[in-house]
Amino acid sequence: MWHRSASFILDKQQLQQSGTVTDPDSRPLSPASTAMPAENPNPKISLYYQTRAAHHGVVTSDWLEQAQAAAAGHTEDSVSENYLSGSEEDSKGFSVVDEFNNWRKQPDLAEAVAAIRSLASVIRSSQATTMMELEIELKKAADLLKVAGCDLFMRYVTRTSALEYEDFNSAKSRLMERAEKFGEISYKARRIIAMLGQDFILDGCTILVHGFSRVVLEVLRTAANNKKHFRVFCTEGRPDRTGLRLSNELAKLDVPVKLLIDSAVAYSMDEVDMVFVGADGVVESGGIINMMGTYQIALVAKSMNKPVYVAAESYKFARFYPLDQKDLVPALRPIDFGVPIPSKVEVETSARDYTPPQYLTLLFTDLGVLTPSVVSDELIQLYL
Amino acid sequence: MWYRSASFILDKQQQGNDTVTNPESCPQSPASSAMAAENPNPNMSLYYQTRAAHHGVVTSDWLAQAQAAVGELPVSENYVTGGEDESKGFSVVDEFNNWRRQPELAEAVAAIRALASVIRSSQATTMMELEIELKKASDSLKSWDTTSISLTAGCDLFMRYVTRTSALEYEDFNSAKSRLLERAEKFGEISYKARRIIAMLSQDFIFDGCTILVHGFSRVVLEVLRTAAQSKKLFRVLCTEGRPDRTGLRLSNELAKLDVPVKLLIDSAVAYSMDEVDMVLVGADGVVESGGIINMMGTYQIALIAKSMNKPVYVAAESYKFARLYPLDQKDMVPALRPIDFGVPIPSKVEVETSARDYTPPQYLTLLFTDLGVLTPSVVSDELIHLYL
Repeated sequence: MWHRSASFILDKQQLQQSGTVTDPDSRPLSPASTAMPAENPNPKISLYYQTRAAHHGVVTSDWLEQAQAAAAGHTEDSVSENYLSGSEEDSKGFSVVDEFNNWRKQPDLAEAVAAIRSLASVIRSSQATTMMELEIELKKAADLLKVAGCDLFMRYVTRTSALEYEDFNSAKSRLMERAEKFGEISYKARRIIAMLGQDFILDGCTILVHGFSRVVLEVLRTAANNKKHFRVFCTEGRPDRTGLRLSNELAKLDVPVKLLIDSAVAYSMDEVDMVFVGADGVVESGGIINMMGTYQIALVAKSMNKPVYVAAESYKFARFYPLDQKDLVPALRPIDFGVPIPSKVEVETSARDYTPPQYLTLLFTDLGVLTPSVVSDELIQLYL
Repeated sequence: MWYRSASFILDKQQQGNDTVTNPESCPQSPASSAMAAENPNPNMSLYYQTRAAHHGVVTSDWLAQAQAAVGELPVSENYVTGGEDESKGFSVVDEFNNWRRQPELAEAVAAIRALASVIRSSQATTMMELEIELKKASDSLKSWDTTSISLTAGCDLFMRYVTRTSALEYEDFNSAKSRLLERAEKFGEISYKARRIIAMLSQDFIFDGCTILVHGFSRVVLEVLRTAAQSKKLFRVLCTEGRPDRTGLRLSNELAKLDVPVKLLIDSAVAYSMDEVDMVLVGADGVVESGGIINMMGTYQIALIAKSMNKPVYVAAESYKFARLYPLDQKDMVPALRPIDFGVPIPSKVEVETSARDYTPPQYLTLLFTDLGVLTPSVVSDELIHLYL
């Protein structure tokens, strides 16, 4: 069953939870997921972006306490070494999600890597005695998490024909190895991308950056450490203030930075040599899903013949094909305008948009430097 | 002497006033150095200070400060020609400021009315004297608030319109003067009513069920939308937030009062929403010779996106905003800088792009709604020739 790997399924579940009463029989996951909204203090806000916001801003101690208290309410079942397969899906469900959340609170860790590591811990603490049981456990845990990396991980882990011929324990340890290795590969992906991106940053070039991507920061940091001379234009990145955070980081690296308001991109595009963005997800068409404003910048850059480079790890590739901007699962983010808004006025609160592949020049991934058209080829190789 | 009408000459002068100026070569310098005292923040564009004051609260301190700076010289009925340039300069500016304090009034209209009052209260006895007075008053107005293209253009057009009457040479002075005054008042009326004319002309373009994207807070655009709402047309408006001036918030306030469905977008969300948009409507700070416009920062970006998605971009601009200016690129204008408040302190090494406006080339514009009619961008230079020659 291929769900949309676009890592917001948790939000969709919460949306459904807050809307309707679910039948416990038909949806064995519902007890688990009804508890999860308790962890999300504000079901209308995309959990993913809450996390990103927490990473960007101050993770307040209240928030952490609140999250921990909500998770701790189920501590009887949480992070226990004894997983019982079969009927006690609730406790297992809580444990995986709990583990995932623990990983996710580290700002440096990508969400998919966190998912992979928590699935690895599922294997580690599994009480299963046969391969089938283990696979079923993994599948259930992966269903609960359903972020982009999990599908790939499942494929990667279970595509082991040689496992059938070994005894169970060595098969299990083999799986564990693979799981750990996958996590390592993903973690190192940023370094690989940074190395690949170095050839494209020339001395004296001007780079326009939008959003706060840790991969892009890694690329720029590596270039600065290699003593390249370049300057960076950061968009302000309303409403998350990503540009301010990025400019802080770059100022520490002694890279000349200039902050632009989002409206000033076309004004400054003349002086820009290339645009660099990260991605929340790379879709089958070769386009990307990223913070709101990326599409706009790519459009402006294309019209002025400036290359747009995307830095994305391979686990962000998703089996997903949006046909237009609204064809995404909504991820909403409240916007603070600083002044009260009349009640009759709506606000467009979507946190991200879709950039079609014709506006992108190259994607830097840990699989290499790809053109957007190659992305679907790579996806086929990964998923089949 | 055609200096760049790009209406930032005051800022340039203020920069020049930091160095010692030669009083003979620059006869306006005593006036302008006194006027520099009136602008509390010489590094900020005065035009945008005024717009900000219109957008926000015109604090009584600010008004008191402005009045105190001008206040020693009352608005007198007696203009003396010749040596007392300063008092006359102050009086015109004072008169102008009286007009300008109404947020509904466009700056250029205020200038035109102030110049008309110069004629009215002039003590000149010959045509030459009167013209010289007018020229001095117009110059002092232009230099008082030079970041405004419409002000400079308005003053220039006023001078042209008023003095271009062949009959003046054959009559006695008094009737010539009253003829001048008539024309001046008529020009003032036309300029004042320009917004209504534009609102009427643009009604045909707003159809039921359309979605209009608006950027910046233009009183002309607001007039257009208000007229459409009052004609019971059903449409909805998408407003960009308009950083850093928050123009979108103010505009959405006004539109909510008119019961027009409004949706606020952050500036980054324009391309995201452009699919649902039927037309883009913006005002202009100035219309240049190429047919392009100078407007709040972000207009160029929106026009570019609209063009790429085949959405029409309409500009609502009064005719006194047509300026003798031809920018070749974005940086080819006298800078108008506006500090941006990010809400958090910024490291000192980080620069900020503070320009308050950009230039939109004519190929991205579809039509201009002016009080001279609905024009295509290519016709603008024709109209400018008619106006200025």
